[in-house]
Amino acid sequence: MTVNKYNITHTNNAALESEERIKKIKKESGKPVIGYLCCFAPPEIISAAGAIPFRITGRAGEDNSAADAYVEPYGCTYVRNILARAVKGELEYLDGLVISHSCDMVQRLYGIWTYYHTLPYSYMFNVPHQLSRWAQDFFKRELGFFQESLENFTGKKITSEVLKGTLATYNHNRALVRDLYKLRKKPALAIEGSEMLNLLIKGGSLPPEDFTVLLEEKRKEIKRRAPKTEKARRIMVWGSIMDDPTLLLMIEEAGGQVVADDTCIGFRVWEKDVPVTENLYEGLTEHYFVNFQCPRTDRGPGVERFNYLLQRAREYNVDGVIGYCISFCDPHKFDYPDLRDYLKKEGLPLLLIDDNYSFEPKGSIKTRLQAFLEIL
Amino acid sequence: MNQSEMSRAKRHLDTTRKMKEMLPRFFMRQMERRFSSNEPLAWCMVGVPPELLKAFDLLFEWPENFGTMCASRLVAPHFIEVAEGDGYSPELCSYVTNTMGYCKLTKDKGEPPEESPLPGGMGTPSMLLGSGFICEPRWKWFQSIATRFFNVPVYSSDPLAPPWDIDPRDPRVEDHYLTLLREDLAGQIDFMEKQTGKKLDLDLLRETLALSHKALGYWRDTLALRKAVPCPMSSTDYFHSIIPQMYLVGDQEAVDFYKEMYEEVKDRVARKVGVTEEEKYRLIWFGLPPWFNMGIFNYLESKGAVVAYESTYNVGDFFEVDLSDPLEAIVRRTWQRAVKMHDYGAETMPELCNPAVFGGFSGSSLLNELVEEYSLNGALMHLTRSCRAVSFGEVHTKNRLAQLGIPSLIFESDMADPRLWSDAQIKNRLHAFLETMDKAAGGDKLNDS
Ligand code: SF4
Ligand code: SF4
Repeated sequence: MTVNKYNITHTNNAALESEERIKKIKKESGKPVIGYLCCFAPPEIISAAGAIPFRITGRAGEDNSAADAYVEPYGCTYVRNILARAVKGELEYLDGLVISHSCDMVQRLYGIWTYYHTLPYSYMFNVPHQLSRWAQDFFKRELGFFQESLENFTGKKITSEVLKGTLATYNHNRALVRDLYKLRKKPALAIEGSEMLNLLIKGGSLPPEDFTVLLEEKRKEIKRRAPKTEKARRIMVWGSIMDDPTLLLMIEEAGGQVVADDTCIGFRVWEKDVPVTENLYEGLTEHYFVNFQCPRTDRGPGVERFNYLLQRAREYNVDGVIGYCISFCDPHKFDYPDLRDYLKKEGLPLLLIDDNYSFEPKGSIKTRLQAFLEIL
Repeated sequence: MNQSEMSRAKRHLDTTRKMKEMLPRFFMRQMERRFSSNEPLAWCMVGVPPELLKAFDLLFEWPENFGTMCASRLVAPHFIEVAEGDGYSPELCSYVTNTMGYCKLTKDKGEPPEESPLPGGMGTPSMLLGSGFICEPRWKWFQSIATRFFNVPVYSSDPLAPPWDIDPRDPRVEDHYLTLLREDLAGQIDFMEKQTGKKLDLDLLRETLALSHKALGYWRDTLALRKAVPCPMSSTDYFHSIIPQMYLVGDQEAVDFYKEMYEEVKDRVARKVGVTEEEKYRLIWFGLPPWFNMGIFNYLESKGAVVAYESTYNVGDFFEVDLSDPLEAIVRRTWQRAVKMHDYGAETMPELCNPAVFGGFSGSSLLNELVEEYSLNGALMHLTRSCRAVSFGEVHTKNRLAQLGIPSLIFESDMADPRLWSDAQIKNRLHAFLETMDKAAGGDKLNDS
């Protein structure tokens, strides 16, 4: 078997690289590429239908003005950035688009995008906010509609055997990712947070079996490495989507070590296996809906909803938390005061970085990071 | 902020002027009941069918509407600043941050802040009835209130509608959504029964729905009368007249109110009495109004511009539903409205599914009809910085209106936070917009100002 047949390098330009590569993969495999945002619609089903799921990423800091002709200036800058990219024709390689109703912004992006630009395939995966029994039943039915729409598009029936096989491949990757995360629990750091995130960004843009190769290769390489032993403050990052490692690199530069995270693309997606249940939709619902820790889902009042986060902070022996909020990100911005107070009570300081998806001005972010790391 | 820039609105209808006596009477009744008993009190969100509250004979408050009151009395910035001091971002919905500030002050002082526009404030809730029908903030709002301020149970209802490119008439799709709507409503009722210790009285609910629908029918017919030239009813009347349907739903008083309004407006149509002396521009309004400065509508009227249709708090096409099973009636009302929106194109608000009596408007292909029927020649779009849920889609709507040759102006401010209002600049822009409309129409009607 060719190891790393696409010659994936380990640069910090994961997203850029991913896009060039996916065009090549598409050409070689002849499979349609289906872009997605958010993790409620399982990419496993896209793979099982014979298509390639591709997690769309933005270009932090790039000009978003191309979106102005279609959407208002007030709105999540990450979403506006993606729309601007679509308008500029940078996402033309996508054969399909899947958007879940996670937050307001993404689901409305779906309407505008598909209105002005029809793709060969598009699907909005509707997701309740409640976790009631009937909301879970709705999610299961929605899985069925989603699967059916993909089958109609690719012309390939997804048998439960095929789906089971795909789940196994994805779960295998999850286990490999968890192994890498485990290494970060140790005081001597084997893999930096920025490197980990880059790896996961690449994972979102590769067919699962290729990601397996990449992860295995990484594991071998890490074994040969001498882990970093200098003492640094151990940080967890929490917040809005992070599809660019810039902030993590800045934290590292300022003398911190990002050892854990709770962001989309990060551990949230890999933390647990999809349970392989007799009715596969049961396990998918548990994983992608009930247990998926996105603050857009209502877990009722009370700070118990953050317990998983505290537990993670303890497991990774974290000294402080850095919150990252993209402008107009309602789900995270609303949680911030509750989370800050909860962590404070537990002796964990939280620094909030408000950003318009540009990581600018770098100077002042750096100063704040340094000051925070110093007090830890 | 210079508060003198803000002006209260002049209403044009006798009926809506009368509300100034009617509502305080209602609030006094509520307050007396609250003080003389230990009855449960629910804070509710628009999206909760108000008929249910009445059928449970439950004491209630609407923090959203409280937000509009705080805005119009200019106390909202004070409450909002308290919330900002607590860590809530200024970008967040100002109705929510207004409530958060109010709650914090109430909790810290042990009593409602004296600045509160309602006598005795909103009272201490014993339950929170939320509805996520239109936006994300609604999911976090009551969650945070119950986390930080009042440790009381919450039920947030979760109505969903099919995205714009899914056929709602496909029986399987219909079943998928109706099943959710029915179960969600049952969940809401179950919660209310537990919290109130009462069984839902289906007969009372049926009666309430009948009265509510009667009121809605008058209201819908009143709004249709605004097609007349000159337009008989203003936006200031419109925006204030939503309130009885929230507070007095199911009461004969509300039916009488809307009937009287209907008759008054009908009479004005017959006598050709308009809102402005000379009606030069007929506009459609998108977005929430600036509650702290409703006088802006009077400013427009002084320029000969009248708003004949509003996209928000819209009762829309109102459907008669079979009331024999009152729960199914609520579900059907919700669904029929969602399907209607869908038919008109729900690309900007795919999730809009509203069990309440009024709500948002979506439907880009409805624009053709509205322009024609209401003889519209321009559109004003209020881009509310802190409520993206309602203002999202304005650029798209502007694009669609441009195809119909209708000019529009998007201007920025907020629904409750007057700190985002810049009076001179906004008036200049409105004025300039009306001038462009003149030029487009080949006239020069505004040289008098
Ligand atoms: S960053 Fe926040 S607002 Fe933007 S897409 Fe993610 S959850 Fe939604
Ligand atoms: S619709 Fe807008 S104003 Fe209403 S709660 Fe949501 S964000 Fe706030």
